[in-house]
This record gives sequence, C-alpha cells and structure tokens, in this order.
Amino acid sequence: MTKAFSLLISATTILLSGCEPGTEEVTPLSEGIIYCSEGNPDTFNPQLVTSGTTVDATAAQLYDRLIDYDAEKQAFVPALAESWEPLDNGTRYRFYLREGVEFHSTDYFTPTREFNAEDVRFSFNRWLDETSLYHNVGGSYPFFSATGLDKLIQKVVKVDEMTVDIVLNNADSSFLANLATDFAIVLSAEYAQLLSVKDMPYLIDQKPIGTGPYRFESFRKDVLIRYTKHPDYWREGPGIKQLVYSITPNANKRMLKLVTGECDIIPYPLISELQALNRDDIMVTNEVSPNVSFWAFNTKKPPFDDPLVRQALSHAINRQAIIDTIYYGNAELARSILPPTSWAYDNQGIQYDYNPEKARKLLEEAGNSELSINIWAMPVQRVYNPNARRMAELMQSDLAQVGVNARIVSYEWNTFRRRLSRGEHDTVLIGWYADNADPDNFFRPLLSCAAVATGGNRANWCHPGFDQLLYEAIATTNANERKALYQSAQHILNQQLPLLPIAHSRRYQAQKKSVRGVQLPPYGGINFRLATKVTTAEESEQ
Amino acid sequence: MIRYLSSRLFVFIIAFFLLTVFTFSLNFFFPGDPVTNMTGVRTFSDYYPVISEIRGADKNIAFQYINYMQNLLSGNWGASLSSGDYVFEHTYQHLFASLELIVGALVLAVLIGVPSGIFAATQFRGPIDKGVISLAMAGYSIPVFWLAQLLILFFAVKLDWLPITGQINPLYGIAPQSGSILIDIVISDSDYKAAALQDALNHLILPVIILSIMPMMLLLRLMRNATQDMLQKPYVKAARARGLNEFQVLIKHAVPNATQSVLQQVPLIFSLLLSNSIVIESIFNWPGIGNWLVRAIFERDFPVIQACVLIIALTILLFNLVVDLYRGWRFPIVRQE
Repeated sequence: MTKAFSLLISATTILLSGCEPGTEEVTPLSEGIIYCSEGNPDTFNPQLVTSGTTVDATAAQLYDRLIDYDAEKQAFVPALAESWEPLDNGTRYRFYLREGVEFHSTDYFTPTREFNAEDVRFSFNRWLDETSLYHNVGGSYPFFSATGLDKLIQKVVKVDEMTVDIVLNNADSSFLANLATDFAIVLSAEYAQLLSVKDMPYLIDQKPIGTGPYRFESFRKDVLIRYTKHPDYWREGPGIKQLVYSITPNANKRMLKLVTGECDIIPYPLISELQALNRDDIMVTNEVSPNVSFWAFNTKKPPFDDPLVRQALSHAINRQAIIDTIYYGNAELARSILPPTSWAYDNQGIQYDYNPEKARKLLEEAGNSELSINIWAMPVQRVYNPNARRMAELMQSDLAQVGVNARIVSYEWNTFRRRLSRGEHDTVLIGWYADNADPDNFFRPLLSCAAVATGGNRANWCHPGFDQLLYEAIATTNANERKALYQSAQHILNQQLPLLPIAHSRRYQAQKKSVRGVQLPPYGGINFRLATKVTTAEESEQ
Repeated sequence: MIRYLSSRLFVFIIAFFLLTVFTFSLNFFFPGDPVTNMTGVRTFSDYYPVISEIRGADKNIAFQYINYMQNLLSGNWGASLSSGDYVFEHTYQHLFASLELIVGALVLAVLIGVPSGIFAATQFRGPIDKGVISLAMAGYSIPVFWLAQLLILFFAVKLDWLPITGQINPLYGIAPQSGSILIDIVISDSDYKAAALQDALNHLILPVIILSIMPMMLLLRLMRNATQDMLQKPYVKAARARGLNEFQVLIKHAVPNATQSVLQQVPLIFSLLLSNSIVIESIFNWPGIGNWLVRAIFERDFPVIQACVLIIALTILLFNLVVDLYRGWRFPIVRQE
C-alpha cells in the first residue's frame, strides 16, 4: 500500500515536472520553423501538379527557376539565369546561366558538378519532349498543357555549358510570366541519370534534388515533411536550420496548434474564428490574392448548352449574401473572371444581379420552368472558397425560389477532380488561383478549347471566337492591344456565361510574431527562403 | 496446471484461427479485387499476374487460405494502397505507439483506481465512500471525446501548459524506429535527449490521463465492491478475532482475495482501453493503430484496415491469455473451475 502510494507520488512528480512552460527554448526549437500545412503533397515535383498544397510544400523550398517575378517591382528578376534576351523577334530567348550554383547533397545523392545548361535542358524536356526518358515517369504535366507552354516551346538548345536557347513556335507575351511560375523548376540531370542507371527513375519525384534553399530530409504521410537548410545555397538563404511541415488537415486544429505553440505558421485559418487568434504573440495577415471562385455550368449537357438558362440561373443567385455568409465579408463580389487588380480587368458588361423575377422569366423563355440540377461542391477548403458545401446550400435555397430543384454532390477531393474531368457534373462550385501576373493565366487554363481536353475547363466550353481572341492576345506584346483583346474576351464571357464568377477572396495566414521573413507572394506558393526565427530576448530589444 | 495451460492455449488457438478466417474473408467482402485487397498490388500493375498466380487466385478457397496464412505468419502483409509502404513494417511501429498510451493509462488507472477503491471499501456507506462512488460514476459516464475537448481547452489553450498533437515537437528530429517515442528518444543519437524526453512526456500527459479515467473509475468500483465483499466474509472476522489490526486485515486477507475477482475483469478493461484509444489517438493525432485504422477506413486502404483489425484483435487475445495464465498460476481455485 505505502509502496503503491510512493510510486504514485513519484509518478505524479515526474509527470508534473514536465508541465511547467519552458522558459528557455532548446536549440533545435529556436533553429526551426513548423508550418502546419493543410494536406499531403501529391509529389515532390511541382511540374506534375497544379495543386496549391503541393506547390506550397515544394516549389519555392526545394527548387529554383530560371527567372523569378518580383511582385513589388512588377518585374522579372534573375534567378538561375543571370540575364536573358529575346532574339529573332521574340521567337527565341537566350538565357545566360549563373555560375557556381550547387545542387543538394543528401544521404541519397552527392552531386559531382555544379548546375549547368544540361540541367535546364533536362528539366524542360521532361515535360516538353514526349520521347525523353523521363517524360512518362509521373505521367502528366497539367500546368504546361493547360497554358500551352508545351506547344509553344519548339525546343531547348544548349548553346554552351552556361548558355541555353529556348526556341518558340511563335512569339508569346506570356512566355516569361509562365517561366517565372512555381512550376517551371530546374531539376538535376545528373541525379536523373544516376536513377535511371539504378532503374529507379520514379524516385526523382519522391526523393527530390534541387538547387533550392532547403533540401529534402524525410516525409511521413499524414504526419510531416522535414527539410533542412541547403548549406551551399547560391543566394541569401534562411536563418533557420530546419523547416518542418506538420500535416494538419483540420482548420480548427491548425488554429489550436498555433495557440499552443505547436505551429509557427498556419495557412487558411477559419475566417469565422479569427478573433480567437487575437493574442499578443500571434499575427494574422492577409493578402489580396489573384483568385476567383466560380460556378461553372457543364455546357456539354443540356439544358446548360443554352446561354439563356445559364443567365437565368445566374440571376437566381444572391451572391452578396454568399460573400457575407461564407467569406464573412473578406472577399469582393466578382464582376469578371479577372480580379480587379489585373490590368486587363473590365466590368462594363451586363451585371447578373440577384433578381428572382427575371430569372423565372428567362427560364420560361428558355422553356425550362421545371428544372432539376445538381451542384458539385468541392470537399476541401481553398483560398478562393472557404466552404463550398455551405455555399451550395445557400444556392440551393436561392434556386428553389425560382422553381429549380438542386441536389448537392460531393466526393473525396481526388475522386471529385477525376470525375469532374470526365464531365459527370451538371454544375460545379470551384475556382482558380493564378500562377502568374499575366491575365492569360485566367483564360487559357480555364476556358480555352485546349483546356477542355486536359480537363481544366470545368464548363467544357469551347468557343472558337473566344479562343481566337486569346491567341491574338498572346501573340502581341503591345499592352494596349492586349488590353483591348482581353476586354473583348471578357465581353464574350459575360454574354455566354459558361461560368458565373462569384468572389475574389483574400488569402489568410496566421503566424507567431517570432517568425520573420516568410513570404506569401501574390502569384504562387508560400516561400520560406528568407525565413528566420527571433528569440524572445531579441524580440524585446526591438 | 498443465491441463489448465493446454486448455487455455487451445482456446487461444481456436480464437486465432477464427480471427484469421474472418480477416481472410474480409478480402472478399471488401469491394474490389481480393488479391489487391490482400497484397496492395493493383490489378493494372505489372506484378499483378505474378502475385495473382502465387496467391492462387484461380485455385480453391482452402488453398488460398493456407497461402494467406503462410504470408501472414512470415510477415508478408502486403503494401498500403495509399502510400505503397509495406504494412507489416509499419504495423509494429503503430502498435508500439498505441501501447505506449495504453500501458501508461493502465498503470495510471491501477495506481489510482485500486487504492481508492480499497479506501472506499473501508469507509463503506460512509460519506467519503458515497463521495468517491459518485465521483466514480460521474467519471465513468463522461464520454472520452468530450473530456478530451474539455481538458484540451483548459490545459492547452487556457493555461498553455501542454501540447495537444503528436508524440513530440517535430523539430527534435527523432526518427521513428520502435514507434514508442520514449524508447526512440533513448536509442536516438540526438544531442538534446533530456529536453526531448521532457517534451515527449508533456505530449503524453493529456492523452494518458484522459484514456485512464474510464478504466480507473471502473477499477475503483470493482475493487471497492470486491473488497467490501471480502470484509464481510467469516475468515476476515476470524482474522479480526485473532487481534490483527484493520490495516493488516485489509492488506493480508481482504485485498489479495478481492484482487482475484477484479483480475477477472481486467481483460475487459483492456479492450475498453483499446477501443477508447482509437478515439483518443484521432483527437491527439497520435500515430498509433487506432489513428491509422480510422485514416485507412477513410482512404479505403484495405490491406491496412485488415492489418489493424488483426493486430487489435490479436493484442486483446494475447492479453486475455496472459491474464488467464497468471490467474491460473496465482489462484489455484481458478484452475479448478
């Protein structure tokens, strides 16, 4: 009995001794940052995806691009290419590569040479050249096929060790913008060769090697990704030694973990609960981000092939109520698919205001007064749509008022996208997040005829006139001409209405104030290149 | 004793056989291809025809079952459909992570539940006894998920004392080897073992306490009733008559005999712990079997579901066997029943 009690007491003291909050941080804790990401990456190569989760986890951390886009200066800045010049009337671009760039040295690969033209050629040919060895490893390259970059680039020519020419089929003003995205990364050709000798080419996307500020350490599905600092990084690198992605799909739990100090940064906090983060050591930031959420009609399926039906349904939706309820006012009502910050933005068209009377009239005109449709609502939270299912419910009741019976459909995210690409839906609530500053990025990946084939065109809408305008717009570099062309394109969209733009939202992020230097560029994923952590002592000095 | 031993082992083997028949038939009940469900090799894979041939997909069911058992016993449990990892290698890591919680909770439950139960018995029908018993009733009826939310809110959010997810702060960089975080820290080559251990203990506190509440209260009530029963027995009166003081009567005579009947319930408490651990692990993101099972169900990862079901059932069976054997060895009366 006494023994049991003394045991009990000692056990409690041991347990309680661990209870006191630490006054001094242990070194590994002050030299590392934990980012609580919202999901598993699909792969460690952003060339293979368009998913924001994967881009956030890989692109800016593991890799570099030939050029970067500086959103503040609104200009392209050198990265792996020190300089570049357009030749032959803009159909050939010459890139002069940077000397002395080291690839990651890890326990699975030790590079014997520095970065050179061979790596650029390999990385581009991977998605460009269907005959290249690695093209079929990993399968498809949705960003490049959706933007048409794989059709635009004729070939990549190595001029000498440190010079590369990219030859285009025609001049395209969106070329540099696409090159500066998170997807056009540079891989190691030497590593690829080593893997193909070992007959394990698929490892290139699972155990990545790049030139970026962090190198891959380990990945446990549903638990974490561990990166360590790349010691020989060619430009200013992070002030921390370790970056951990703690995978936390539940938004509530992410916020809790930030409060308890188990996360340093979290993406997508619940906008409705932001006041819970109103604490001294936490900072909530939001960026106007180039995104749009929309309601796309499957125009291949009747009655959605009739523009009148699409217009009628659009008049039936109270979009302002959606913005107040779903976004808590942290979004702007979309008047066009382009966000108002874009230079090609145009809001001169017809406004589809909430008007049930008119909706009913238009439906009668189209001969569809009794309509039964389904609304596909995506199951995940995205920056452009924090709660698609709830949004669908609001729309369901709006539609019921004009005599349209709507059923809400939802699947697990991967299944959802796969079935969408097959065109099984009537209408879908989804959205788009721009990868670069060019307005083209809102049109071709979403609404071109080419995007119907790749599954990116959720409306399955192919309009030859509209497509023609898009191709004219990218063929010229004259900004005024381009603007006019994009405005006509928006006019066509406004009349045809293959999709109803709903909102442009802000991307929210919350972080500990002790974390500095984490960038959330308006175009692309989160960037930890300059991340540092200040200790409490340093903080009080400032 | 030998007869008792062999009869217990026999029961164990029969139960194990039925269990494997059940998991084997799961392969056919799950949607999709049985061979895929067994091995994680998809039908469009290059290896599928070979695997299918080896597994005897076209042969009779008895052959397939024997083949399944051979693979099962040699640790060949197939690959996960969602991650492609070998299931067996991950099973023991998850199991050890779960056991760390469960053993911790069981020890805590025994350390607090048993003495308080005995204490309550000595105060039978007194105000203290009534207080303890009502507390036990309340503790037993609180659903674990609710208790978890409550304690998280208080200790983690309000007081900011304790972390709420995982086994340890990932920045310590402790690589999972055994799966049990305390063991992993000790065998790791980290420079910060002491700090890491403290951090891991902090992570253990909340889940262990929450998990232990229900079995603790159950043990308390069982122990109190059993001890009280014993205290009414003539031999206790005889002991008192011999002039032993109350404490000696309790420790030497009442408690050992009360333990016997309580011990009979321990396997039940253990299964209760295991099923509650599924909830607790999901709440605290503990990388144990329960958490793994729940995720596998969402992802329709049949090889993993099967492994989890098998390992959970097997753990309960083994625990039962051990307790039975201990009781048989310790209390001769059990052998005669």
